[in-house]
Amino acid sequence: MSEAKLFLDFKGLLCPMPVVKLAQAIKQIQIGEMLEAVATDPGVMADIPAWTRTTGNELVTLEKREDKTIRFVVKRAK
Amino acid sequence: MTETIQLALKTLEAQLNQPLETALEACARCGLCAEACHYYRAEPKVEHIPAFRAEQLRSVYRYEHDFLSRLFPVWTGAKKLDEPMLANLTEIAFSQCTLCRRCTVNCPLGVDTPLMMRAIRAMATASGTAPEILVMLADAAIEKGKDPSFYKEMFLEQIKEMEEQLRDVTGDENATIPVEKQGAKILYVPLAGAHTILPPAVVFNAAKEDWTLSIFEASNYGVFLADVNRAKQVAKRIVDEANRLGVKEIVIAECGHAYASYRWDVPNWFAGQFDFKVRSLIEVLGDYIREGKIKVDPTAIPEGVTYHDSCNLARNGGLIEEPRYVLKNVAQDFREMTPNKDEAICCGGGGGLVALAEYAERRIAAGKPKADQIKQTGAKVVVAACENCRLQIGDINEHYNLNVKTTAITDLVVRAMRLPKPLPGHEAEYLFEGEGAAIARE
Repeated sequence: MSEAKLFLDFKGLLCPMPVVKLAQAIKQIQIGEMLEAVATDPGVMADIPAWTRTTGNELVTLEKREDKTIRFVVKRAK
Repeated sequence: MTETIQLALKTLEAQLNQPLETALEACARCGLCAEACHYYRAEPKVEHIPAFRAEQLRSVYRYEHDFLSRLFPVWTGAKKLDEPMLANLTEIAFSQCTLCRRCTVNCPLGVDTPLMMRAIRAMATASGTAPEILVMLADAAIEKGKDPSFYKEMFLEQIKEMEEQLRDVTGDENATIPVEKQGAKILYVPLAGAHTILPPAVVFNAAKEDWTLSIFEASNYGVFLADVNRAKQVAKRIVDEANRLGVKEIVIAECGHAYASYRWDVPNWFAGQFDFKVRSLIEVLGDYIREGKIKVDPTAIPEGVTYHDSCNLARNGGLIEEPRYVLKNVAQDFREMTPNKDEAICCGGGGGLVALAEYAERRIAAGKPKADQIKQTGAKVVVAACENCRLQIGDINEHYNLNVKTTAITDLVVRAMRLPKPLPGHEAEYLFEGEGAAIARE
């Protein structure tokens, strides 16, 4: 279990919508805080790292789980 | 004058060429564009008339370029650009115009209002006032191109899993999803998700095509920003990949703006490095059916099916008959919307609008004419060959209680190919059919 302040459910959303929603949601937490999300579109495996690299936020975890969902944790850095 | 305004005006000046100057000068103020615009049809008010929107930029242009206007701006309606005006122009260009060009084709003088809206988008992007999310999505795509190694391993793992699913649903143990195959004939460029990889992979394998999958996505948010520099950087990833692999042809997924940009803009941006044929996946599907390379069951889809012409594919891309040819080969009951083809009404989701949450309410309101059209067909399935259109139609389906299913052309073709098993996520669609339901139950 992460120390995330915000949990987001992106299951069923197709790329790039998870990134769009993530970009909106990150503004709801403070710098240094984390959010956790679950998605199903495999496109997030590329899109989320690309987004964190571009925006300067930190990708703490990105993992594919046994139930085929993809879990990721992002720390707001800016 | 602030730096923001200086940058915006500098960008306007840099874009002034014959087409833009003609659009800025030629309007007869007849108002015929009003009824052509889905925003006006949804909510008839003066702000929704394309000529009114264009006038906001024309007033700035007059102030900068007309001596009399500079001396007596009140007489000519000229305005000196300031920050509140730039904010207003930006909002108009990004939230009240989807760049569908229906106003242009219905204008007696052919005034290209979307070209002016693009000019404003470029001014906003250059001056840092464009919607942040579009800039972020364009920059993330550029980042992928700079160093694909940070996601390539995960991407290839995903493709391996999809390959297993492909073999499972087709029953073909040799079915593959080739990536970076040197010398392949076709480079297929998907969107970011599996839904634009697996169904085309079924088709390419059935047709025994010599193809390879791009590691990049076709979408180009630089195009929505009207930022040629960013748009070129996004497109360059695919141009370089195509050159590196030595392919003959680039096939674009079912995506309106990506098809229009790779078909019309990219070959000019990369003149001398772009020796490829460009086709939409829809054209490929049509050719496979015509040549008998794939077998489809014309009775596979008994529900009423209607087709939404994406503006970038039909009006701006010329892909009008090909999707209809494919659909008439797989759907028993194909119904046209009215008006359609090059006069089709925009769904309201184009121009990057579906990614802009701040304008969602306005976008849904502007989708009302499309919702009415869909209702009038009585169809149960709405097909759109563009991801943005499908997302928008999904939203208006919910908002206006249309009770329809939204799908891509390739998904229907795959369904009509009568695979041994349905694609993952498509199981419910088989329940429409007698035979399909039996297959799904097995």
